[in-house]
Amino acid sequence: MTKKLEELEAFVVEGKVAIPATYSAGTVGSRFLIEMRDNKRIMGMRCSKCGIVYVPPRSTCESCFDKLDEWVEVSDTGTILTYTVACQPSPVLPAEPPVIYGIIRLDGAGTGFVHMLGEVKPEELKVGMRVKAVFKEERTASVLDIKYFRPLK
Amino acid sequence: MANRVAIVGIGQTFHKSKRPDVNQAEMANEAVRAALTDAQLGSKDIEAVVSSNMEPFEGVYLPDHWMASEMAACGKSGFKVATGGTSGASAVVEAFHLIASGLASTSLVVGFQKHDTGDTQAGMTACMTPVFGSGATTGAISEFANQALVYMEKSGAKEEHAAMVRLKADRGACRNPYAQLKLGLKGVEEILSSGYLEWPIRILDFCPQTCGACALVLASEEIAGKITRKPVWIADTITVHQEPFRAGSFGDPTGLETYSQDVASTKLYKRNGITNPRKDIDMAEIYEPSTWEEMMHYEHYHFCDENEGWKLIEKGITAIEGEFPVNPSGGVLSTNPIGATPVIRVAEAALQIRGDAGEHQVTRDVKTAVATALGGCNWTTMILLRRSL
Amino acid sequence: MEKEPTQEYIQVKIDTPRPYRWSTGKYLGKLYKEARDRKKLVTNRCTKCKELVYPPQMVCGRCKVEAGQDWVEMSDKGTVVQYTYLIFPRWDPHRGEYYSSPYPSATVLLDSGLYLRSRLEEQDTKKLKRGMRVQAVWKEKGRGRGQDDIEYFRTIEELEVGK
Repeated sequence: MTKKLEELEAFVVEGKVAIPATYSAGTVGSRFLIEMRDNKRIMGMRCSKCGIVYVPPRSTCESCFDKLDEWVEVSDTGTILTYTVACQPSPVLPAEPPVIYGIIRLDGAGTGFVHMLGEVKPEELKVGMRVKAVFKEERTASVLDIKYFRPLK
Repeated sequence: MANRVAIVGIGQTFHKSKRPDVNQAEMANEAVRAALTDAQLGSKDIEAVVSSNMEPFEGVYLPDHWMASEMAACGKSGFKVATGGTSGASAVVEAFHLIASGLASTSLVVGFQKHDTGDTQAGMTACMTPVFGSGATTGAISEFANQALVYMEKSGAKEEHAAMVRLKADRGACRNPYAQLKLGLKGVEEILSSGYLEWPIRILDFCPQTCGACALVLASEEIAGKITRKPVWIADTITVHQEPFRAGSFGDPTGLETYSQDVASTKLYKRNGITNPRKDIDMAEIYEPSTWEEMMHYEHYHFCDENEGWKLIEKGITAIEGEFPVNPSGGVLSTNPIGATPVIRVAEAALQIRGDAGEHQVTRDVKTAVATALGGCNWTTMILLRRSL
Repeated sequence: MEKEPTQEYIQVKIDTPRPYRWSTGKYLGKLYKEARDRKKLVTNRCTKCKELVYPPQMVCGRCKVEAGQDWVEMSDKGTVVQYTYLIFPRWDPHRGEYYSSPYPSATVLLDSGLYLRSRLEEQDTKKLKRGMRVQAVWKEKGRGRGQDDIEYFRTIEELEVGK
């Protein structure tokens, strides 16, 4: 039995891939998360050669490849470098849209830190705005122990 | 005229089943630092970085993006390779191509896998074409279990022979500071009384899931001599594909890997003047996911005739002190961080050529060695290494 | 002397299933349709080498030419060539749950000359043999997944004694 290609039906199969995974934060990552959970402190890692303070902290400098172990505390207050608003619903969004994401340079840090912005309307936002972290009451050693950053009044 | 390429630096992590103390990037970084230290080079001396990792097993996709710093890749060329079990070998081949073609004069190869993160067999099942093939498959193990049964009946190999393969691997691992599984097994009886994983494969017949990384520094002939007195030359490489894990699309399902291994080794030997593999090659580091596979691979790679693989292990020919040592490092049976495993095969073969394998250095003088890799899509990569070209 | 605090390692668990919609294309789509609608396995025969291509696809792997539209209906009976049975609990990523244990599976040589991998119905592992004759048992409900519409292969007769 021969058939023309056009007469054939193409199926679309609905399926899923469900593989549970457990990620290790590692020694450096764990300390960063534990400090937020236990002490509401945000920690960075400084490269003594280049002077860059990485937030979140890393163990290798991307510029000079040195091994890093100089911990520094950075402020919970910083400046918005840029921001965007997620308007469409998606299973990966942590909340109902609109969700505002910002890249924030915390005072004392040399890198941007991605997190959400809250207590503010999208039209009120400006690059250069000063914002402060709002920590959750119940914290679990997760980057979401910070609920969001809100504008400094 | 292609440039000649040598391995001038070797480094690996101490492989373990769990590494909660590091994230994936930091683990790879340990191997990178070890290789750079061995080569006495800094990250600025590296022009390209080729990495290897099988993402479904950790669920971290495009890991080369978030770990560019840890791989000394910032500002460098190169990319990540994911070709199943052969990922690491493909990465070595790619770095070899970069230098042989003159596009780079040094390259880092880093293979890594952190198996404590996800479910490897589930990841493999998910790798198979989802619209076909996943119904009866429980990961790679079912494929190997099927083949083991047929090999037993066809060749006369017994479960004792599979146990002897594990014993050989364990003896090697106990002498290799980097190997993960050091069981200290005393004899085959201990193995034959252990439990089954997927019949007839016992838990002890199969490779572990490992967190580990391995890195190599490759350099062109022009500068290899300035970096080390013991360069290990990559004489040749070959990759052969075949149709994937589909029962019998290419004929006899019992020899699913035979085709690519047979074609790869035949071509590689022919173009390198190897007429008697056990004589012309001094040792091999092969990718054997199970003890049964190792015996079958002896035949497929033409180390012996068909149905004779189990005899090599019975006579001790492939032991460390044997006439043709295979996997003196403990092999994949003792350590298997999939993205890194073929890089470890090349690294271990290179260490043997350099005479730097310490307690697991083989008795035979190693001037020529072959490293092999086996991919989940049933393709084979082989890399031929020589002390001098 | 102050005791060194034990290092706490943070582990982040992520287990959200990822939804996908996979297109079969027209060739594989015909296998799916016949399996769903008529409980039949079909595949195409390469117009050049005349060998069956399974699963059905556009290109014959041997000849490297377009395989063509010569469709053939497969027998649902066959012989077990290889078998195994799962003992260790294993995770099925497509259903998001563990496989049952034991989970006997086999490579079956269909009487039409094609090899096929599938589950076996027989749960008593001592009864599994190479050469045993089996027949496909189709799912009654929930078909539409191609070859996976076959629930398992049922043993239909014993091996001949003395063979």
